[in-house]
Amino acid sequence: MSVSTVRPAPAPAADPAGVAEPESRRERRRRQRLEEQESIIPVELYGLRRGTVTLVTALAFVFAIFTLVPIAWIVINSTKNQANIFETFGFWFARPFSFFHNFSLLFQNVDGYGTYIQWFGNTALYAVLGGVGATALSAFAGYGFARFSFRGSKMLFYLTIAALLVPITALTLPLYLTYAKAHLINSLWGMVLPSMISPVGIYLMRVYVDISVPRELIDAARLDGAGEARIFFRVALPLMVPGFMTVLLISVVAVWNNYFLPLLIFNINTRYPLTVGLGLWSERAQNSGNAQLFPMVVIGGLVTIIPLIVLFLILQRYWRGGMLLGSIAN
Amino acid sequence: MVPFLVGFLLFMIVPLGYAVYTSLYTTRIIGGTVFSGASNYTQTLQSSEFWSGVVRVIIYACIQIPVMIVIAFFFACVFDLGVAKFGRTFRTIFFIPFAVPAVVGAVMWSFLLEPQFGPMVHLANAFGFSGTNFFSPSLILPSIIVIVIWEWTGYNMVILYTALKSVPRDVVEAAILDDTPLWRIIVRIKLPLVRPAIVMLVFLNTIGALQLFTEPLILSYFETGSVSVNYTPTLYIYNTAIAADQTNLAAAGAVILGLVIVVISTASLLFRRRRGELA
Repeated sequence: MSVSTVRPAPAPAADPAGVAEPESRRERRRRQRLEEQESIIPVELYGLRRGTVTLVTALAFVFAIFTLVPIAWIVINSTKNQANIFETFGFWFARPFSFFHNFSLLFQNVDGYGTYIQWFGNTALYAVLGGVGATALSAFAGYGFARFSFRGSKMLFYLTIAALLVPITALTLPLYLTYAKAHLINSLWGMVLPSMISPVGIYLMRVYVDISVPRELIDAARLDGAGEARIFFRVALPLMVPGFMTVLLISVVAVWNNYFLPLLIFNINTRYPLTVGLGLWSERAQNSGNAQLFPMVVIGGLVTIIPLIVLFLILQRYWRGGMLLGSIAN
Repeated sequence: MVPFLVGFLLFMIVPLGYAVYTSLYTTRIIGGTVFSGASNYTQTLQSSEFWSGVVRVIIYACIQIPVMIVIAFFFACVFDLGVAKFGRTFRTIFFIPFAVPAVVGAVMWSFLLEPQFGPMVHLANAFGFSGTNFFSPSLILPSIIVIVIWEWTGYNMVILYTALKSVPRDVVEAAILDDTPLWRIIVRIKLPLVRPAIVMLVFLNTIGALQLFTEPLILSYFETGSVSVNYTPTLYIYNTAIAADQTNLAAAGAVILGLVIVVISTASLLFRRRRGELA
């Protein structure tokens, strides 16, 4: 596989230190679009008929509809009350308009099994601590693997790669058993610390450092008498920013969406993240006769996905350029 | 470096070791915890519930992964060639489900497919498939497959798209000058060049498929009994540990599942190294 396949992010951010005048959003978009158009061979050259273009666009349109149907459904139904969610047509609005009432329920402990806004805070806390921690550790370790060789460094790196292959399930239950023994059940750190260990992140950072931080630059800095810490923060880190952002994005998403670990290690609802809380509500709404929870599951689901979709749209260039292999195994 | 190694040790190696240790013991109501050697392993390996879950995820993987990769590759080619209009917009839309937690994805689809009220059921009725029940034993697995395809196709597509972008342009131009038809350029030139990326995706998706958990669990909340407690190996392990409170037995199950996946991973790594696909 060519190097560019696994490259975390492409050239556009080649000036991470911000030395030059920052390019405006619009300019950057235009430049990217032009670059993209240049790299594409004009369709006419393939000898395609117009009908083919129309047909393929139609197929893409169909798949886009398939992708958007659940999102459209959850947006529309977040405005309905409980009866209308079930009794009216799923893809159109109905009176009364209950969006704000539903939304206000997210701030209340309706059935005594927890408050949505608290879960939201928990998820944000776990995702920020775990995601930032994972990214920082990956940057240190990836830089270390890429630019230092010490006794056993090769072996350690292979061990890290091997850890990529250990399935989440096979790791989560052992973690739970260990916590039960070490009295770490319901502990914040029980959730955050394992999230910081990201073999994928280390692998990606190492690859990225290899590509983007020249050895000569580090050697030159050493000759100038800069300390190792200073070299890392002042010389290497600015060059690593695009890779850093990609790993950050992947790590935050991984913690935000994690379900199995928190499901096992938390048994009081004030500690739950959103995923566990929404799962619990779904179960209680259906099986414990708490049907008033259904509108809350719907609007809660909507509020859960909005921050991440916005994050992805803002940070598009970091996954567009070359999202990475490896974070799929969960 | 050091904090990572300490974390690595504490949160990966120690728990794994402890799980193996736990799996070798049995807790009895009378007599406490005693060393029982391999008995938890023989019990798991002889349990038909564990095996039916294993067989089910294998069937699931054999359908879900090829379908998803074919769709992802098709659209990756389309966007790479620039054949469709609004390619950038479509790419962004296709990627959105990656940002949706599996729990929320499964909840949304559960509402859509719900037997009594779900809009998809009405749609199926309107098209003449009356009495369709997406949560029935015959349709529950296809339903799960649709949900997972919805969640992951965009991500696979982005990776294949990136791989296709690295195909040298002059090779394709030369083929065009030779009047090679488009489908042949794709099958004969592009497909072989992105084969390593496809193999990698098949492998990662397989590991994910063997651990199938969230989607069936959420569906079982919406329709009790649609998904049995031992539907997949991970559900079996989860229910053995939590609901049945047999942690020793569950630990054995986790070790077995872990080993199976590590064996598959290693085999595929060795296979690829022999073919010279790994640097």
